Amino acid sequence: MAASSQVEQIETTCVSIGATYEGRDPALLERMLPLVDYIEVTPETIAEKNGSRISLSKDVMSELRNISHDVKFIVHGVGLSIGSHEGWSPTYFHLLDELLDQIEVAWHSEHLAYTKVDGEHLGIMLAMPKTEEALDMVCQRVIRMQDRYKLPFLLENVVHVIPDAPGAYTDAGFLNEMTRRTGCGLILDVYNLECDAHNHGFDIQGFLDELEMSNVRELHVARGVEDNGFLLDVHSQIAASSTVALAQKVVRESEGNAKVAVYEFMPEAVPGLGYDAITDQLHRLRAAFGN
Amino acid sequence: MDLATQQRKLLGLFRSTYEATAEDDPYIRRVARSRDLAEGKKNIALWRVWVFERTCALTVNLLRRRNLLNNLVKEFITAENISPFRETQAPAFLEWLEKSEDHLLASVASFELALMRVREGDQQTHIISWTVEPASILHCLAKDLPFGAEMRAGQYQTIVSSRIPGHFEILELMTATSRAESR
Repeated sequence: MAASSQVEQIETTCVSIGATYEGRDPALLERMLPLVDYIEVTPETIAEKNGSRISLSKDVMSELRNISHDVKFIVHGVGLSIGSHEGWSPTYFHLLDELLDQIEVAWHSEHLAYTKVDGEHLGIMLAMPKTEEALDMVCQRVIRMQDRYKLPFLLENVVHVIPDAPGAYTDAGFLNEMTRRTGCGLILDVYNLECDAHNHGFDIQGFLDELEMSNVRELHVARGVEDNGFLLDVHSQIAASSTVALAQKVVRESEGNAKVAVYEFMPEAVPGLGYDAITDQLHRLRAAFGN
Repeated sequence: MDLATQQRKLLGLFRSTYEATAEDDPYIRRVARSRDLAEGKKNIALWRVWVFERTCALTVNLLRRRNLLNNLVKEFITAENISPFRETQAPAFLEWLEKSEDHLLASVASFELALMRVREGDQQTHIISWTVEPASILHCLAKDLPFGAEMRAGQYQTIVSSRIPGHFEILELMTATSRAESR
């Protein structure tokens, strides 16, 4: 099948569209605003260091407050490290508190992963082993998160950078049990699934067949580059048609619970992509998701 | 293998501070010899390079010209505990490069770091020493132009301060010869 023919019109389910915005690019924001319902904000990327204290950029927060009547916000962290054996990152909570004091958000989310071990940063997110020990620990932390913030909390599947460790659960089984125990929702990053399929022969269909799809609240759509035969989880490209088609499939199977598809890209990629390509992507997503 | 042990060993593999042995769990040995680990490390470096391209363009340009960028980023990743906060990564990289024995690299990194701090509101005055004339170097790096045939050697300083229009000025220090000639 030709890639361009993979994307179909969704007839029954309308999904809102979101996009990453990390501030400091008002011209891009102006182009995106008419095309998105949600702006995804990552506290760590709008943070600044003032002496020894890390806090949110006043300029970026002002930008966000100024558009709060035009768009809804969702928060998507990268630095919580919910899966670190020794504990999560307290700095993340300071930033999230600061952000929630200033803007209203629909829900917040993080990655089902760890980024640090004993205070040392990995520089990358690693997926959790699918063991009882890991599941118990993550579930306790999700519940603490839900107790602290009276907002829906979602966790995202991350790409498998390295082979999976032996565990008691499959990937989907782990997510099903986590959502069952905690009531948290899921973000499915469908590009991550494609990376796993390409790099490790991951069975996407088998995963989707096993996953409780009604727990999926949000989708992430992105594209990176291929290096040495590996698809890298870097958000530097316009999403492939296959990625959008996979997102559509998830939406169809989510029983109406998937609410938004977010196009993710790094600010570093903007000069190479250009504003036109980003807005074209958002137009195509709107068309693909029935907007 | 419990979670803590697994995470510590994987951290060591990623940071190249641990080598798997025959006594290790089969999973750790499998990861250690996998292509995935090498690709994961490259991925980490790639993310850092993208951040540095955006946040410290002058220094990155110089490193690219000298074909040092990838190796030095990898060295930096191994040597330093890099914060996930992107805005802290470039200052940390520049602070690390300031210690370089390569005078030009150290000067460019110091200059860019000082400029970054002043633009963020730092009220201090930063003085950076140069062993070559900096104006043409900085111009070529900023505009991505080739360096002239010869860098003009000499003793110079760049003064970086919020009180200076444009935030910096260049001073040529008098050499012993020029001092004698001026008498």
